[in-house]
Amino acid sequence: MNEPGSDTETTPAAAPMPAARTGAGWRRDVWPGIHWIQELGGHRAGIARAVLESGADWYRPGNELYVPQNAYLLTGERTLLWDTLSPASGHILLPALEELLGERPLDYLALSHPDVPHAGNTMQVLRRYPQCQLVAPAAGETHALYHLDDAMKVGPGDEIDLGGLRVRFPEATFLDAAIHTWMSEEATRTLFTVDWMGFPHQSGESLRRTDEIDTVVDVGRLEEFHSRVMFWFQYVHPHKVTAATDALAVQFAGYGLAPAHGLPIPGEDAAPYYERMNEVVRRVAAGGRGGVL
Amino acid sequence: MRAGAPRDRARTVSVIDLGGGVSWVHECFPETDAHIHVSVYLVEAPEGAILMDSGSFHHRQRLADRIRDATAGRGIGAIVLSHSDYPHSGNIPAFRRDWGDFEIIASCGDPDLQGLPYARRTKIGDVTEVLGRRFVVLDPPLADRNHTTWVYDEASRTLFVADGFGTLHAPGACDIDWGRIPEDGRAEGVHEFHAQTLPWLRYADPDRVMGALHAMLEKHPPAWIAPIHGPPIAEADVPRYMADLSDALTRIAERN
Ligand SMILES: [Fe+2]
Ligand SMILES: [Fe+2]
Ligand SMILES: [Zn+2]
Ligand SMILES: [Zn+2]
Repeated sequence: MNEPGSDTETTPAAAPMPAARTGAGWRRDVWPGIHWIQELGGHRAGIARAVLESGADWYRPGNELYVPQNAYLLTGERTLLWDTLSPASGHILLPALEELLGERPLDYLALSHPDVPHAGNTMQVLRRYPQCQLVAPAAGETHALYHLDDAMKVGPGDEIDLGGLRVRFPEATFLDAAIHTWMSEEATRTLFTVDWMGFPHQSGESLRRTDEIDTVVDVGRLEEFHSRVMFWFQYVHPHKVTAATDALAVQFAGYGLAPAHGLPIPGEDAAPYYERMNEVVRRVAAGGRGGVL
Repeated sequence: MRAGAPRDRARTVSVIDLGGGVSWVHECFPETDAHIHVSVYLVEAPEGAILMDSGSFHHRQRLADRIRDATAGRGIGAIVLSHSDYPHSGNIPAFRRDWGDFEIIASCGDPDLQGLPYARRTKIGDVTEVLGRRFVVLDPPLADRNHTTWVYDEASRTLFVADGFGTLHAPGACDIDWGRIPEDGRAEGVHEFHAQTLPWLRYADPDRVMGALHAMLEKHPPAWIAPIHGPPIAEADVPRYMADLSDALTRIAERN
């Protein structure tokens, strides 16, 4: 297994990985037409300690532990960037875009929600690609407070045809802000979730899908993320959340998951993740939040 | 004037004095049917003026003028940030250009990712000193971003909160405290605000949220609750606000 930044030496049979780059780098074709640009952030020592104390066996002491930010570039006949990473990573995002796009324009920049770690390079991207159409969630009332009043607004029922790829904007079932959307891509059958379904990974696992790592993403690993980010799970009726999760599992059966803060999960492996998330909610509702991210 | 009502410090809409060295620098923004406050508060500390949040870029110039006016030209010496959401944190770079590299106190797990590499980190449970004044850092039961914190100013017994405890208001009711908003429509303003701002409340158990809030208010009894997105709530009005909030949470939960 390679460290991020090394040249690729293993090529998983299921998915050639022709170009993985740099510690915080980017990867071509996580699925056909979907490119993945990842920001690792720093080593999360506090979470690593909590993981070790929990007795989890997926984390190897001494490894760096990351809770990444992901952006995804979709290239059909037209191109769309989903989220922009944090302001600390403009120097990763823009060169990645230039290299992945080459001479092609960026046609759309779609934001899941105007949160700093996701929308932090919006202005830089729009300056670099002045013809690019900004796409924002229709949900919410305060777009002007986020400079989103002039954006193209999307929500359930809307579709952008990229030519070969088609994106839709289902409601964000678990949202942390009023102005928020998720996205699906219908040719590859991929659901892009933000922030839901995040989880930490360690050295050697960056830019890998879950079917390309040798550790498990179990309930405890998902809980490390959600007990911090979805702190409000501690105040819910768990059955309301699990009902919503079960509905998602049906609506998006067979879809791969491309989370903003974890590794992509192939469609054939996705079903048990919904079940694991239900257990996460029950645990946080009973035991309280795990901390702050 | 009833006890605890804010007094206008100046005849113009400058800042509204809540007592104990705390003033409300109210700003609001029109939505489709109502106004939403996006305010900040000024706290006079022994070593300078502390700004609670930085406000929206929409109000940048006016906020800067009013802060300059209220501090007799000294400007601010520190910002305590509730959370790094653009309408709360968006003026930090501009204010630092105006008034120097003053201290930013924020709770985020990773300040770099929030665009605040220069911030001093606080944690829930800390008691932190800012310019010689003590604040207790609290875990907010009503928040959107996970790194949000509320702070309790021990000297004035003011509880600074975002995003919870807001109230949408009618045009014209922009500069009065919660108790003086006409009762007709006030509870609806509490409901509307929470329904639109904290989408996760659709899954919430109102009893658990209210229980956590009551426990906090008991431990840190506020002379004022000072929300960013609503008018300040005086101690005498807190029970009525909590009753309206409880009804609002129940309505939100029952609809979903
Ligand atoms: Fe996020
Ligand atoms: Fe917020
Ligand atoms: Zn807010
Ligand atoms: Zn107003």
